[in-house]
Amino acid sequence: MKSLLVTLNTRVLKVLLFLTMIMRYDSIFSEGNDDRNSDSELDSGSGSEDEDGEHPSNEAGLSDGVDNFDQGDQSASEDSREVVDESDSSEDEVGPRNTIGDVPLKWYEDEEHIGYDVAGKKIKKKERLDKLDSFLARTDDANSWRKIMDDIEDEEVELTKEETKLIRRMLKGKAPHADFDPHAPYVDWFAWDGAKHPLSNAPEPKRRFIPSKWESKKVVKYIRAIRKGLIKFDKPKEEPRFYNLWGDETEESRHGLSYIPAPKAKLPGHDESYNPSLEYIPTQEEISAYQLMFEEDRPKFIPKRFTSLRSVPAYEKSVRETFDRCLDLYLCPRARKKRINIDPESLKPKLPSRKDLKPYPTTCYLEYKGHKGPVVSICTDPVGQHIASGSHDGTVRIWEVETGRCIKVWELGEPVQHVAWNPLPEFPILAVSMGQDVLVLNTGLEKEENKMIADLLRVETTPAPDDSESAGSSVSWSQYDKYEGIRIKHFKTVSSVEWHRKGDYFSTVMPADILLILQLCSRSRACLTILIHLLSKKLTQRLPFKLHGLPVCSTFHPTRSIFFVSTKKNVRVYDLVKKKFIKKLDAGVREISSVSIHPGGDNVIVGSKDGKLCWFDMDLSSKPYKILKSHPKDITNVAFHRNYPLFASSSDDCTAYVFHGMVYSDLNQNPLIVPLEILHGHTSVNGRGVLDCKFHPRQPWLFTAGADAVIKLFCH
Amino acid sequence: MPKHYRPAGKKKEGNAARYITRSQAVKYLQVSLSVFRRLCIFKGVFPRDPKKKVKGNHHTYYHMKDILFLKHEPLLDKFREMRAYEKKVKKAVSKKNKDLAERLLTRKPTYTLDMLIRERYPKFIDALRDLDDCLTMVHLFAALPAIERENIQAERIHNCRGLSLEWQAYISRTHKLRKAFISVKGIYYQAEVEGQKVTWLTPHALQQVMPQDVDYKIMLTFLEFYETLLGFVNLRLYHSIKLKYPPILDPRLKALAADLYALTRYADAKDRAIGANDEESELRLAQLQDQLPANEPGALMHLVENVADDNEDDEETIACKTLFQNKTFFLGREVPRESLLFVITAFGGVVSWEGDGAPFDESNQDINYQIVDRPTQSHRFISRDYVQPQWVFDCINARIILPTEEYMVGKVLPPHLSPFVDNEAEGYVPEYGETIKRLQAAARKEILPMPGGEHDDLENSQNLLAEGINDRTKAKAAAEKKQEMALHEKQYHQELKEELEGMQYTPDPNIDDDVKSNVEENTDDVSPEQLVKDDENMAMLSMSRKQRGLYEAIKISQQRKRANVETLERRKKNIQKNKKTSD
Repeated sequence: MKSLLVTLNTRVLKVLLFLTMIMRYDSIFSEGNDDRNSDSELDSGSGSEDEDGEHPSNEAGLSDGVDNFDQGDQSASEDSREVVDESDSSEDEVGPRNTIGDVPLKWYEDEEHIGYDVAGKKIKKKERLDKLDSFLARTDDANSWRKIMDDIEDEEVELTKEETKLIRRMLKGKAPHADFDPHAPYVDWFAWDGAKHPLSNAPEPKRRFIPSKWESKKVVKYIRAIRKGLIKFDKPKEEPRFYNLWGDETEESRHGLSYIPAPKAKLPGHDESYNPSLEYIPTQEEISAYQLMFEEDRPKFIPKRFTSLRSVPAYEKSVRETFDRCLDLYLCPRARKKRINIDPESLKPKLPSRKDLKPYPTTCYLEYKGHKGPVVSICTDPVGQHIASGSHDGTVRIWEVETGRCIKVWELGEPVQHVAWNPLPEFPILAVSMGQDVLVLNTGLEKEENKMIADLLRVETTPAPDDSESAGSSVSWSQYDKYEGIRIKHFKTVSSVEWHRKGDYFSTVMPADILLILQLCSRSRACLTILIHLLSKKLTQRLPFKLHGLPVCSTFHPTRSIFFVSTKKNVRVYDLVKKKFIKKLDAGVREISSVSIHPGGDNVIVGSKDGKLCWFDMDLSSKPYKILKSHPKDITNVAFHRNYPLFASSSDDCTAYVFHGMVYSDLNQNPLIVPLEILHGHTSVNGRGVLDCKFHPRQPWLFTAGADAVIKLFCH
Repeated sequence: MPKHYRPAGKKKEGNAARYITRSQAVKYLQVSLSVFRRLCIFKGVFPRDPKKKVKGNHHTYYHMKDILFLKHEPLLDKFREMRAYEKKVKKAVSKKNKDLAERLLTRKPTYTLDMLIRERYPKFIDALRDLDDCLTMVHLFAALPAIERENIQAERIHNCRGLSLEWQAYISRTHKLRKAFISVKGIYYQAEVEGQKVTWLTPHALQQVMPQDVDYKIMLTFLEFYETLLGFVNLRLYHSIKLKYPPILDPRLKALAADLYALTRYADAKDRAIGANDEESELRLAQLQDQLPANEPGALMHLVENVADDNEDDEETIACKTLFQNKTFFLGREVPRESLLFVITAFGGVVSWEGDGAPFDESNQDINYQIVDRPTQSHRFISRDYVQPQWVFDCINARIILPTEEYMVGKVLPPHLSPFVDNEAEGYVPEYGETIKRLQAAARKEILPMPGGEHDDLENSQNLLAEGINDRTKAKAAAEKKQEMALHEKQYHQELKEELEGMQYTPDPNIDDDVKSNVEENTDDVSPEQLVKDDENMAMLSMSRKQRGLYEAIKISQQRKRANVETLERRKKNIQKNKKTSD
């Protein structure tokens, strides 16, 4: 230690001392700042004795260390001066000027001098620069960081390079001198040769002779690891990042579910060009009109024109759009959709040419004018020479078909609901429903006075009570006074009259309101709303079945004794001979308005108030074979032609449709339905258009009766 | 127990068993949503729409088989391993176990997507089919800045740039580019590789806008897959033209950001040095070419010509290759160099540009076209045309050399039309489209070998073109007239015949279909429009409901298309009117 200290020169030691002091003061300062302040206040009051007492307590630890060090230091320095007398250091020879020794400098704080020199003279304190000046001086001087204030000597000392290095080394805890080697090889000073006895008498342990078990285990482990290839000695070779992935073209299919490739992004059109044609750029009004649109409908991209390529800016949505595409790719459900790129015309079914299906009514040939109100119902006579028409103006007229001449007019005084011509040609009589009455009128078209008709239309003056017990209460037969005919009075408004094919029976329908029906039905099982009259015997009977729902119209089967009653929802079919309910035809439409039976008797068409026309094949099913959504408005009437394979529907939208409806005798072949023609011509009155349509019994002609008080004849 | 009875919690059937919602799937795979998303993106698994949505309409449904497919993916284990590893590192760091943390950092588990690409695209052609999105994304990222905050690293950007340029170099080298279109969004290119049309979009080479509300993590996941895919595709393509991959580029050119040029040079050099396998010599060759006589750019052209390839090329490739053959271009400082370099070389032209590393400079006498994009050009060489960049794009889309008059410096450019639109199908042909078509037709008609230097005869050739156009238009008009006459005659005969037939049919006003309308007009007031409508109505009557719906949908779409065309025509009329009034 001494040898070390010898080499240190005193100045360095002083610096060190100074550094340590600074450090310690700092730490104390930060700890006991408040204490010191209060102490100083106390000091001023209590005087110098306290000061003496205070000092050791305050800096006991510190001063101890410093003192020890200082003493050692001084002794060392003296030693060095003595030992290294011839040393070339000039500063060492100068020695300390101040001779106050190891006393606290605090004692000289208030004095003019800092101490005494060798001669015993006072050493005056030097003039101190004020802070600003000293700071300026420091900043000016590049070497200022080397300079240290020596408080004892009261002078500034500039450290040399070697000295700073020394300090640094010491601060790091290394040996102060660079050439000192702390790990110098050990020199064994002990003279072993002369020693007769070993230091220890213990025998050499066995483990020093046998190889280590654990080492060998570890070695075995390594060997195994090397053999397995777990430990590799040379760095693995850099594999090329990319290689021929599709090198072996084996027919390998994709795993998993079928892959649906994402649809490709839309290719840009002319409008996305940086310099589109002028017509692609929307005008200012159009752009402002986009703001009024719904956000979904608004165009995403508004074309813009740039005069040159250099003026095109970066597209601000490019990252955004790529991101959206990414989201689409992994979040959107994909499904294979067949993209149909076909001519829409090819969707239309291949129907036989309309030319081949001729004849059918196409053009309006005649108009029968004379009525003053909407013509509600028309009917042709069985031969086809005359038609009868009933109108809301309270008249029934008979027209000659080929000339359009009105033959006869009956002023009945009440709006006519329905007219029906007796199907037998030898009995030219007409049934007219009007209010609560049904009139059976003699048309008088027979050339010679027919006795039979007159007989038929004569009612005994004794009215109804002899009739059956139930019908008698509601229906009364009597002679019609105004014209030649019979009047049958009902208890409710009669909506339609239909003749049986033999011309003796006819049925009437009274669409009574539901309460009445309930009331009536509660009394008996039979249906009161539909009555069947026998003209020859002047009898009335009820339908012996219970009817569910309101009746709309009724029809007789053209060949057999089957009776069709249509309610608003379905068509019910009864056998009148067996008195049995046969089947129900379920149309599935909102409200049935009319029914017509094919002359073959196995097919039924039903027109509804939602404009649908249902074709039933009764042999096939009770569900419609075909539903034709033809009219935008209510269908008022449907009709089959008696000879030709034609049927028609008339509607409130002022049109009548003519269809080809061929029924084959082969049961395996379905009926062929072809729309043929749309007949226009009527005008709408009060929202009603064509009110009735009927075919000519022999010719492919169609009569239509309109709400505009006109009857039209459409010929082929 | 009846068959339909299923106790609670037992197996399900039908849609309930076949489809699984996303949250169910995440739970089933025992991964976090983000890992699930990554897996889906890598594996190409997408939701599917079940017929019946058991859990409700607002869920995303995956097919159970897809989820099982994910479940058996080795990558799933890899992700789990990575998660465990991250936890280990975190734990070591938080316990201040520095050694462990460091050791762990050297053993980071990694994964590759190679097998996934093979799995998703069993054949190379499948990969090409799906390349559109990949290329668009890689090109976009090549133009983006690296953002540390969003974890977009600079290396990836560089990688993207490298990959995109390699792709472009291949396309231009093999002359596979077919169409190019400058849009507002960027430049669209379409190439035909192995019979597949590959379309991609490159953004304009400008500072891109980086929106804040975009999840860059998702994009980066996609990018990761796309980078790998494009790498493999590029390798395959480079091998198909007998080039080494990855290419070794001239570092000097690379430093000058002329990467594409460096790549093309690499390809050319390789051609030169067939047989010289070692990379050293290639590199040396590439450098040697730099020292080729600067006043002879033809030397470079000769290198590009490769006789061996010609046999394999189809007609279109040859047409593309020869479009700009023997033409020399010089790019101004202000034009997008990379894009034009790509496009022109793809069509067989020779390009140089203003700047360092250019093969020849502006004063070269062989330059035919100088491409500039500035209001005025002060110093002009008489021997060359100064055109705007759009000329190049219009030329390649039309496949003919268009007259340069309209594209001169400072001129108002004719509209730039999209080559991706089928004008006939769209129903509207822009005016300039017609012009181009006429020019094309003229060019086809006379396959004149242009005598002498093509530049001097440009005017001449244009006159010829114009003559050709006149001839064609006249002939066309005449043919049309003739056709019309024939039609009239035929109609007349038809009518006569019909009348005759009508006479013998019935005494009634019997009318055949065609004549019927006239008579009807006389008798009733039924307009012909009404008749057409009737016909349509009747056709609709006999259709089934499904077909009717389809028919109506098609009609609506047709109507929309027609409305669009009508708007365009209206605007055009307005513009012309305004022009007239202003004149």
